[in-house]
Amino acid sequence: MSAGEAVSSGWMEIADKTMRDGACQHAEEEALSALVSQYSGTLYRVAYSVLRNAADAEDAVQETFMRVLRHRDSLGEVRDQRVWLIRIVWNIVLDRKRRSKTRPETDDVAELARVLPVKGLSAEQRAAAAEHHAHVLACVEQLPAKERQVMMLSAFEELNSVEIASVVGITESSVRSRLFRARNLMAGLLNHARSLR
Amino acid sequence: MNFSKQNPVVRDSGVSDAEDTLRLIANLPAPEGLEKRIEASLRVAPHTTTHKARILSWPVALPLEKAWVRAAAAAAIVFLVLGGGWGVVALVQSSQPARAIAAPPDTPHGVAPGGFSNAGAMRTPQTLDHPVVAQPEPTPAQTAAPAIKPEAKPEAKPGKKPLQHTKSAATGKPVKQPVASTKKQPDTTRP
Repeated sequence: MSAGEAVSSGWMEIADKTMRDGACQHAEEEALSALVSQYSGTLYRVAYSVLRNAADAEDAVQETFMRVLRHRDSLGEVRDQRVWLIRIVWNIVLDRKRRSKTRPETDDVAELARVLPVKGLSAEQRAAAAEHHAHVLACVEQLPAKERQVMMLSAFEELNSVEIASVVGITESSVRSRLFRARNLMAGLLNHARSLR
Repeated sequence: MNFSKQNPVVRDSGVSDAEDTLRLIANLPAPEGLEKRIEASLRVAPHTTTHKARILSWPVALPLEKAWVRAAAAAAIVFLVLGGGWGVVALVQSSQPARAIAAPPDTPHGVAPGGFSNAGAMRTPQTLDHPVVAQPEPTPAQTAAPAIKPEAKPEAKPGKKPLQHTKSAATGKPVKQPVASTKKQPDTTRP
């Protein structure tokens, strides 16, 4: 092999490798884009249910996809991408809520009335509904953390008990028992609040 | 996931209303343009992947044919390190203090260049102080006792006579002979 051939073959190798890298990167970007379009709404709702702040929830979703981007090499090993993503955003929002000292926006009844959809209600009914929701959310905040987390995740229609167990990292029977305890505690809190009125 | 209808304790206590509230929040629609914003942020983000830890990360991967570049770089690094070390050693050796004591230059009338005068002080060499032997003070008992003559030797034992080294005339070998006592014997004949 002459020097020219060697140089040209080396150049071909480099070009081939560059093309392979480019194609691989393009495929990864495509996969990531598909994940964003498919699950960003779900992740936002999960984040909002904990943080109850639109900007913080959006930041949490962005951070989730940034982590996915960082570990995109192992994306093919993930069995259930939806639960995996929810688990990532769940850990992020719990960490953020632990660190942040600010109150959620929904503590404000007016903000809650603005955010929550109330169709066909008058202004008074809307205000009353917002007050009721705020009261319920305040009772939820009084629950122990483990029970509260399971109860909030159970509100998502797209998550069954097995998936909740996978997100929280416990067994399915633990999910059921925690949910049972959460409902009993919640009933006690709501009855107590009702008797005070 | 809805278990509230299965639980008779909480069926009529408003828990289902609470779950409705949670469900309402859980089903809130995502803001418009969320996907685009996230994709834009991902595009801006640096494409960092999880690399293995490296001590030196070369900007470009060098093929095996260019191993001599690495060897040259390594040799240059070794040369720089050794040169720097040799420079430090040379610097340390040259800055060591002189071992001889420098005497001040003789100036007229003992006036130093700084304008100070040593007032005619004599320079004495720095020598080690010899150990000072303390003279024992005479005690009263020693002063009362009679002075011992230094020449006085202890008398020889009565049974022994001192030997004198002489040479035998016949053999020429040294022979030990008793020495005649020079001490004056007491005269026993006298009463």
